[in-house]
Amino acid sequence: MPTVAMTVNGKSVAGNVEGRTLLVQFLREHLQLTGTHVGCDTSQCGCCTIHLNGKGVKSCAVLALACEGADVVTIEGLATGGTADVKLHPMQEAFREHHGLQCGFCTPGMIMSAVDMVKRKGHDLDEKAIRKQLEGNICRCTGYHNIVLAVQAGAAAMKGN
Amino acid sequence: MSISATSHKIGEPVRRREDQRLLTGKGRFSDDVNLPNQVYAAMLRSPHPHARIRAIDSGKALAMPGVIAVFSGSDFIADGMQPIPYNQFTLHPAEMQLPNSDGTPAFTAPCYSIAIDKARYAGEIIAIVIAKTVNLAKDGAEAIEVDYEVLPAVTGTIAAADSKAPRLWDDARSNVCVDADVGAKDATAAAFARAAHVATLTTWIQRVTGVPMEPRAAVGEYDAATQRYTLHAGSGGAVRLKKDLALIFDTPVEKVRVRMDDVGGNFGTRGMIYPEFALVLWAARRVGLPVKWTCDRSEAFLSDFQGRDLAVTAELALDKEGTFLAMRGSNIGNAGGHTGSYTPLQKGVEIMSSLYRMPCANFRARAVVSNTTPTRPYRSSGRPEVMFVMERLIDIAAREFGFDRIELRRRNLLKSSELPYTNPFGMLYDSGDYHAAMDSALKLGDWAGFAGRRADTKVRGKLRGIGAANYVDTATGAPRERAEITVHPDGNVDLVLGIISNGQGHETSFAQLVHEWLGVPLDSVRLITGDTDIVSVGGGTHSGRGMRMGSVVIWNSANEIIAKGKRIAARLMECDPSVIRFADGRFAIENDGQAKSIFEIAAAAEQLKDLPDDLRGPLAAFSDESFNEASFPYGCHVCEVEIDPTLGTLEIIKYSAVDDVGRAVNPMIIHGQVHGGIVQGVGQALMEQCYYDPASGQPLTGSFMDYAMPRADNFPFFDTEISEVPCTTHPLGMRPAGEGGTTPALGVVINAVVDALAEYGVTHIEMPATPERIWRAIHGKSN
Repeated sequence: MPTVAMTVNGKSVAGNVEGRTLLVQFLREHLQLTGTHVGCDTSQCGCCTIHLNGKGVKSCAVLALACEGADVVTIEGLATGGTADVKLHPMQEAFREHHGLQCGFCTPGMIMSAVDMVKRKGHDLDEKAIRKQLEGNICRCTGYHNIVLAVQAGAAAMKGN
Repeated sequence: MSISATSHKIGEPVRRREDQRLLTGKGRFSDDVNLPNQVYAAMLRSPHPHARIRAIDSGKALAMPGVIAVFSGSDFIADGMQPIPYNQFTLHPAEMQLPNSDGTPAFTAPCYSIAIDKARYAGEIIAIVIAKTVNLAKDGAEAIEVDYEVLPAVTGTIAAADSKAPRLWDDARSNVCVDADVGAKDATAAAFARAAHVATLTTWIQRVTGVPMEPRAAVGEYDAATQRYTLHAGSGGAVRLKKDLALIFDTPVEKVRVRMDDVGGNFGTRGMIYPEFALVLWAARRVGLPVKWTCDRSEAFLSDFQGRDLAVTAELALDKEGTFLAMRGSNIGNAGGHTGSYTPLQKGVEIMSSLYRMPCANFRARAVVSNTTPTRPYRSSGRPEVMFVMERLIDIAAREFGFDRIELRRRNLLKSSELPYTNPFGMLYDSGDYHAAMDSALKLGDWAGFAGRRADTKVRGKLRGIGAANYVDTATGAPRERAEITVHPDGNVDLVLGIISNGQGHETSFAQLVHEWLGVPLDSVRLITGDTDIVSVGGGTHSGRGMRMGSVVIWNSANEIIAKGKRIAARLMECDPSVIRFADGRFAIENDGQAKSIFEIAAAAEQLKDLPDDLRGPLAAFSDESFNEASFPYGCHVCEVEIDPTLGTLEIIKYSAVDDVGRAVNPMIIHGQVHGGIVQGVGQALMEQCYYDPASGQPLTGSFMDYAMPRADNFPFFDTEISEVPCTTHPLGMRPAGEGGTTPALGVVINAVVDALAEYGVTHIEMPATPERIWRAIHGKSN
């Protein structure tokens, strides 16, 4: 099996994978980074969204082998500090403050997508823009109301960071 | 969320304790569980909606690299495995019964975890392949050769009830399993005979599916030395799952353990045992290794239990002033390919008359089987369907006979002074203020200002409509629940409960109760629910039973801990227990400086040798109760839509909801429940449907590319308001809050759509009201 090497959450990692291994499988099964979730098999739900070389992508739509030398950030790499003094990313904090999650399964993808949205669209996002930009992420619990509020607040809070 | 919690007490919007791990990728969902040496299962599913299995040849699959075993239904039977012990009706004593009118028992047939003789829906499991990797197991499944005798199939609800329809069970007289006649037939006929007006509606509340975002997954272990099975799988409840598995394996319950941590959504879809849960355990026993199975989303569309699917014909009789005289009709519920559950039919028909004064009613209630994925209760099981019918009938009557929609509701809506009220099906509504809820919702939705907004919309060439819908929601569920509280000297409090959080935030809201009643810090409370080796009793999460039942058994346990603590404190401080007061986690002598904390008392309980027997040992208490009364949450929603007549596209402009929860423990969580509930209901009204091709019986919605899921840009922000009129049948005044968002949403949206289209002579539109359907309605094309 071929080898692939990349940087994930700031650490160099490598592994032997099948040609058909998806990036999300590499993250979950080889690196045990189970925060990135698989919610569908057609790249619709967005649960597996990560940052690949600084851009938000669905990790179910990328082959692991195509990520040779890439820089990957997953939900596990967003907060700072150690296990004892975790400092949430402003977007994570905004989701907590605004009750932007219920079961939490779509949440990692929502947050990675939201951070990417701020990078692409700036900090002053209105409701309509956020709703439009969340098209690629499905949530079944929250009715999106509090997610939209969280993204708006998180985007503003990221300005200071 | 502009309001911050000022304390952790009951009624405060306390931010959730579970969020830290879920936000940082540290949640532990079923597919995150991996065991040493585990192997993987793939399910071979029937491609045919209806087929007899003549032979299964697994030779080629077994010869493939990495394939360890292939099992089929005949192996399952040869091993003495038992059918899944489904309860077709709800077990709650407050529920109306549905006896067949000819005196025969309801038809039920054994449902095995794997097809034995026939496949009765496309997606039914035919064989299970065990291999070293998931991909090898899937490759193996493709290599199995099955000789099917393809049979004619029926998927439509009304079509399945026809005596000439293809029959799923050879020994049944037809596909009709339940045929009950409920209510007062003669009185209803007499009322209709003297009615000035009769409004009628024939409709189908279409088949949808719950779609929890976490696909199902299960890891099965078998320990040959102890002959014990351990299942790791997310579900609505652990204890019931354990008992069901013990019956399937014909083994004592102690030989089965069920484990789960985070569960990614339920909505009823995950409420009952699934065939795969038994199969991974059985396969683990057969191959001697742990077996893991993870459901693909496309597989979930075939095999997750689906919901709704009720065909209704209903009539409402009114006198010339608009007073309701009676209602009657027929409901046919589609159970799908097995006789697993008739609960939605039962839970719907018993409250057909909703919150309105209805002197009499009469309904025929039938359940049919068909060649479709089996159905189960789905968020608010049965009630959104019948609330839709009632609220549509009222709007139809108003328009046809010249009444004001709101005045017609107001005239017939039960007043507080009339409660408790027994509805024509025998259901006893305890308490509430239905008029206040409706008035609040109309105010919140600015019903009075609608005419002006409609005029503005018209200028822009669009159509605007508004609708209102009242609802009542019967909450029953498995009646028995148990809490165990142990206060540890190290400052922790364990709360063991048989209720699983599927996203409802139990680690926060149940901890708020313990914090308030025992005065311990919120973060000292450790909620333990997902391990049947610790949790012995409990009904799980469904039918609005979590907080409703959980609060009472926690309250009882807390009170017993306080009573015990007072006696221990009296012994420590050498006084009479009667002078000790408990507040804020401290036992203090009245009018004295002396006090001991609850944790000091817990230490004393473990250390003092001379305490009476019932006080010695851990400071702990339990409460185990059965709840035999139903609860009736209620409320009113108002929805306003704007339609582009050229395209048929629709925008929800405003959605306002007032839901009564009796007493709110965590309003932040309740508002969240309402938001999510609304979207699930609106999803059904406007876009969702499990389509089956009527000619071939094939399911056509197999992925998120075919099944329309509500997305963020389909909605505005919602205006939700919590009403708190204490419930008289609950010791703490609480009503459930998890289903109210969904229950009226179908009716209120369609009422608004029809209102917008009224100028085109549209009197009704079927769900889902897609742009195509709306366009056709406007342009006079057939639906």
